Amino acid sequence: MGIEVRSVYKRFGAFTAVNGVSVDIKDGEFFVMLGPSGCGKTTTLRMIAGLELPSDGQIKINGRDVTYEEPRHRDIAMAFQDYGLYPHLSVFQNIEFPLKVRKIAEGERRKKVHATAEKLGIAEYLNRKPAQISGGQRQRVSLARALVRNPRVFLMDEPLSNLDAKLRATMRTEIKKLVTSLGITTVYVTHDQIEAMSMADRIAVMRKGDMVQVATPLEIYDRPRTEFVADFIGSPPMNLFPAHFDRKKGLAASVQPFADSLSGEVADKASSFADAQGQFFVGVRPEHLLIVGDGAEGAASASVDFVEPLGQTTNVYVDCGGHKFIVVTDRTEARVGDVVGVLVAPGKSRLVAPN
Amino acid sequence: MSSSITRRGSILSGIGYYALALMATAFFAFPIVWMTLSSLKSDADISAYPPRWVFAPTLESYRKLFTELNAMDALINSAFIVCLATLFAMIAGTLAAYGLARFDVKNKNFIAFEVLSIRMLPPMVSVIPLFIIAKQLGIFDTPWLLIAVYTLNGLPFVVWVMRVFIQEIPQSIEEAALIDGCSRFECFWRVTLPLLLPGLAATMVIIFMFAWNEFLLASILTSSEARTLPVIAASSIKAKAISWGLGSAAGVLMSLPIVVLVLLMQKYLVRGLTLGAVKG
Repeated sequence: MGIEVRSVYKRFGAFTAVNGVSVDIKDGEFFVMLGPSGCGKTTTLRMIAGLELPSDGQIKINGRDVTYEEPRHRDIAMAFQDYGLYPHLSVFQNIEFPLKVRKIAEGERRKKVHATAEKLGIAEYLNRKPAQISGGQRQRVSLARALVRNPRVFLMDEPLSNLDAKLRATMRTEIKKLVTSLGITTVYVTHDQIEAMSMADRIAVMRKGDMVQVATPLEIYDRPRTEFVADFIGSPPMNLFPAHFDRKKGLAASVQPFADSLSGEVADKASSFADAQGQFFVGVRPEHLLIVGDGAEGAASASVDFVEPLGQTTNVYVDCGGHKFIVVTDRTEARVGDVVGVLVAPGKSRLVAPN
Repeated sequence: MSSSITRRGSILSGIGYYALALMATAFFAFPIVWMTLSSLKSDADISAYPPRWVFAPTLESYRKLFTELNAMDALINSAFIVCLATLFAMIAGTLAAYGLARFDVKNKNFIAFEVLSIRMLPPMVSVIPLFIIAKQLGIFDTPWLLIAVYTLNGLPFVVWVMRVFIQEIPQSIEEAALIDGCSRFECFWRVTLPLLLPGLAATMVIIFMFAWNEFLLASILTSSEARTLPVIAASSIKAKAISWGLGSAAGVLMSLPIVVLVLLMQKYLVRGLTLGAVKG
């Protein structure tokens, strides 16, 4: 069942924030919407929550059409970037709030609040006000408040972006474990690709109101569909080599700078990726480029622009006849100014459509 | 060495601030002290020159105030009119402000400006139409007329100030409540309202004071039954002489409720009046 989003649009005046998004989120799935700010991911989430009404389209939760339902009738819970805690209530009362509004008996409320607080490690702060606890604890309180009534669907809007890097990493795994163990369908919005990659069962990459690609994290990493996805996922990003496909001849006529070594792999699939003018890209992840001796067979000759040793790996920025790209290797002898050969690991080049 | 110099400097500046604060307090408190003293003096003591600081206090002026000028009726009128007007203006104004702050209303800014424009009209201009309307409705010289007038007078201020206070509350708090199971009204009642208390207190004190001290409309739109305290107080000024003792006593009587109100609300007031200024 899960969540079904059917051709949903959201327009604010002349501006289209969400441009006909359709997606099926499966029951119990951890679904991440990823994209830069203004891509429509939060607006989509808010429409699922019922905090915004779609301009057009339909949203179903567990088979029921909730497009125009009030948020309280959707059986959802939500965690906000700024936590959205009630500042005038204690931590206990904050967690208790959804139960109280739903008129659950006091004894049961108390039991559930304590159990949830225990699970999230905030049992000792129950008497404090939100202003008296740290950011990480506040986020735990907001998670506890969301989870205390066992919702069918859990929506999270950048819940970790106000936390420091270290805390973010621990909370990431904690949230993922917790939500998975409870089997709740989760929709998670973030602009952080590491959060998306590490937590998601499936990622939807969004750009300018469109879902550009919906796939598992590794699929997205390995086979980004468009230039935008290739550039957005992975750090350093995928190298994109401009390529051209001549529709009349039906062949990949050129792939700069690896004209010889790539053409064969690329040719048969190119027509579905190329735009009207026959432009497309061949993408290669930086770790799939190999530095070999200059003049090696099939290698493009390039000069080293800059070397960034990161300890575990080294980023080598190279320039190949005006094409600049990045190679990630183990430790390397290459120095700035060296001329080296660059080779694409066999079977690792991907076709990428222009935006 | 240098630290002892700066310490001495900070002590000196501390004394300086205290002196300044005391002077300012004295400046503002003097008329009130003078009024209170005058209300307790006999007529002879009041007109004595140089002023007498030591005198036999008497409640004669207060006795006259309550017997000759019927101050008790006026006090009851004032309290009834001003409390109800404040209550109505607060309820209607806060709800309107909530709508303007939170909902996607068409021509929102025009509506807000329209509300404010009531305030721009010089009160004098509205007196004659109000008088005629009141006569037609048969509510002239009843409390209801002044209640309506003061409610309308206070409304624009409440709408504009409360709108800002409401906008200061992060929207995600209300959205959390909506998702946690509240209807819009429950959300307003359980979450927004408690957070607004400081703002409500500050706004309420101010419009209460406006209405409590209002003289012009009260003097024209009442004749005998619905007279309020400011009208009574003004009647201590006669054509030939000013009854200082009576006027002072009326002044003290009028000030007391405001003082009590401010003391009661003090906790909220300080937070309310500075809410916009301090973030975090």
